Amino acid sequence: MTKAWTSNHLSRRSFGKLAGAAGLAFGASPGRFTAALADAPPDSAAIIMGKASGLTVHNAALGVMETPLAMLRKHDHTPKDILFNRLHFPHEGDAAWYATTAVPERPDWSIRIDGLVQRPRTVTLDDLAKMEQVKRVSVLQCAGNGRSYYAGKEKVAGGQWKNGGMGNVEWEGVPLRPFLESQKVLPGDGAHWLTAEGWDQPATPEGSDFAKSYHLADHALDNAILALKMNGEPIPATNGGPVRLIIPGYYGNMNVKFVTTLLFESQQSPSAFQSVGYRMPLSPVEPGQFEANDYTIYNSRPTYGHQIKSVIFSPLPEDKPKSGAIEITGVAFNDGTAKITSVEASADGGKTWQSADIKPPESPWAWYHWTAKAQLTAGNNVLMCRATDALGRTQPMDGLARWNPRGYEWNGVDRVEITA
Amino acid sequence: MRLTRLVPIVLLTLTSLSLTTNAERVKFDLPAGPGRDLVYGHCQTCHDLQSVVDSAGIRKGAWDAVLDNMKGFGLRITEDQRARILDYLGSYMGPNPPPTDGSSETVTAAEVSGKDVFNNTCIACHMEDGKGKPGEFPPLAGNTDLFLSPEFPALVVLNGIEGPLSVEGHDFNNVMPSFDFLSDSEIAAVLTYVRSNWGNDTLPGASTDHLTSDDIKAIRSKPMTATAVHESRAKLLK
Repeated sequence: MTKAWTSNHLSRRSFGKLAGAAGLAFGASPGRFTAALADAPPDSAAIIMGKASGLTVHNAALGVMETPLAMLRKHDHTPKDILFNRLHFPHEGDAAWYATTAVPERPDWSIRIDGLVQRPRTVTLDDLAKMEQVKRVSVLQCAGNGRSYYAGKEKVAGGQWKNGGMGNVEWEGVPLRPFLESQKVLPGDGAHWLTAEGWDQPATPEGSDFAKSYHLADHALDNAILALKMNGEPIPATNGGPVRLIIPGYYGNMNVKFVTTLLFESQQSPSAFQSVGYRMPLSPVEPGQFEANDYTIYNSRPTYGHQIKSVIFSPLPEDKPKSGAIEITGVAFNDGTAKITSVEASADGGKTWQSADIKPPESPWAWYHWTAKAQLTAGNNVLMCRATDALGRTQPMDGLARWNPRGYEWNGVDRVEITA
Repeated sequence: MRLTRLVPIVLLTLTSLSLTTNAERVKFDLPAGPGRDLVYGHCQTCHDLQSVVDSAGIRKGAWDAVLDNMKGFGLRITEDQRARILDYLGSYMGPNPPPTDGSSETVTAAEVSGKDVFNNTCIACHMEDGKGKPGEFPPLAGNTDLFLSPEFPALVVLNGIEGPLSVEGHDFNNVMPSFDFLSDSEIAAVLTYVRSNWGNDTLPGASTDHLTSDDIKAIRSKPMTATAVHESRAKLLK
């Protein structure tokens, strides 16, 4: 199959360069603001114990780091030492225990089920471990993954993520709905939301606690688990152990780490992480017309399921491929509610497209591996890929159409510029 | 959730040290300009300044929204401080930053107010009137560490401190970053202010022989790690 789409806009990476030349990007304006880092840049391995060296650090104090694609592509299941990381509060003092990929030593962990219920209950880690366990292989992806590419329209505040804020992870734990049923907490008629809260705490008393709420009618909860294992071992502390709520196909922040509390509630949580942060506007917005403080629960929605997305793993610019016949490889995924039916790849900036061979995924929420044949010409080549699913959902040719002031849910057609 | 956190805390004090040690806080230099010290003082309570550096170039309106959002995440500043931080970010970290000549908002020693330094910087964690926050930030009011030695509080301000502390019977285990961006005269002034107020002048060992900016300069010339400052405290307590 060959399709012709015109590509008359700059690639997002060219945009980035232009933005830098205009002094928009940090460090691109000599003499003004070049020596930002007083100390040597922190290495990922020194920030979270057990992490590999060489991850791209976005914030050391919050343990925020992403995986360079050259590391990510080596594994089908992303190992804990290279999986991207994102904590919401400083991993210091009382919270230092979760700044490690080691398994937390928290045998007395328990979860309180409370709220609009007749019989609140406390369930221990031992109780959970004795229950039926199921596996869920799912892509875990930061809602901000790809944020830096929105700079093609206007740079947005926050960590400038490329595509490495994702991984393909095997989780194992107790299915959520049967678990809640079995506890017989007897929710009242007014209970419409389930709120999950984690152990982590803000640094100041005025800060919002981390909490996420899900409508009880949300079908995604049918597949949710209270996970006790990640990639076959107890969940590493930094990944949310000993218990993490995993909703397969949902963006990372929806998968609450260090779960201590499940609340049946009439309303969603007032936590800023639910009501203001990690949200997408309900209709398209433009820079300057809708700012990051304009979000309400009425004009926006939480970052629920992954937007359909595909990413090129090979070749990357550092592979320095030669001209001639090549294979373009990568992964694709969505929220798991429909099969990905097509991945198309282009080596000429979108003039012609080849249908890629897609390998069946391990689960509806796992990533699909795909391969497409292409010809590289000597000089510059623009590689692109685009996934489509059985519901007809596909990636926008211009991801900037989904620009939003918090820079979430980037899923524009992926572009990699290669010199052969 | 706050209530449910109480139980795990007991255990983690036993296990956290064996699991990990924290990397020292990373320091970022921002371009010199009015309001920079407020950014240094307030924005690092929750995250390091890479968040600011990596966002450089966004519009003032976008910075304004960032400050609103940070309020929700726990930023505690007055309206006046907010306006000054926004002016700084919107200008020096905005789309068209002014050239900087390397000079900071230096004020002469005679003009420095210890109270202003406290309210612009220290209050972010140590709270109004130095009352602190139980479990996270030790109080400065009634804190006998202020007179542990003539130099000790200056060591903490210049180098930070990291490790478990017990103050007035309350336990703390957190990281204070270095505040060495404050000038010698600012540190001298704020130490005098803190040592003289909230009843601190009647603490055991209290002295009215305050550190001068020359003293601070001498202490600054011998940098230590935050962990070493914690160790020196333990020695002084013996």
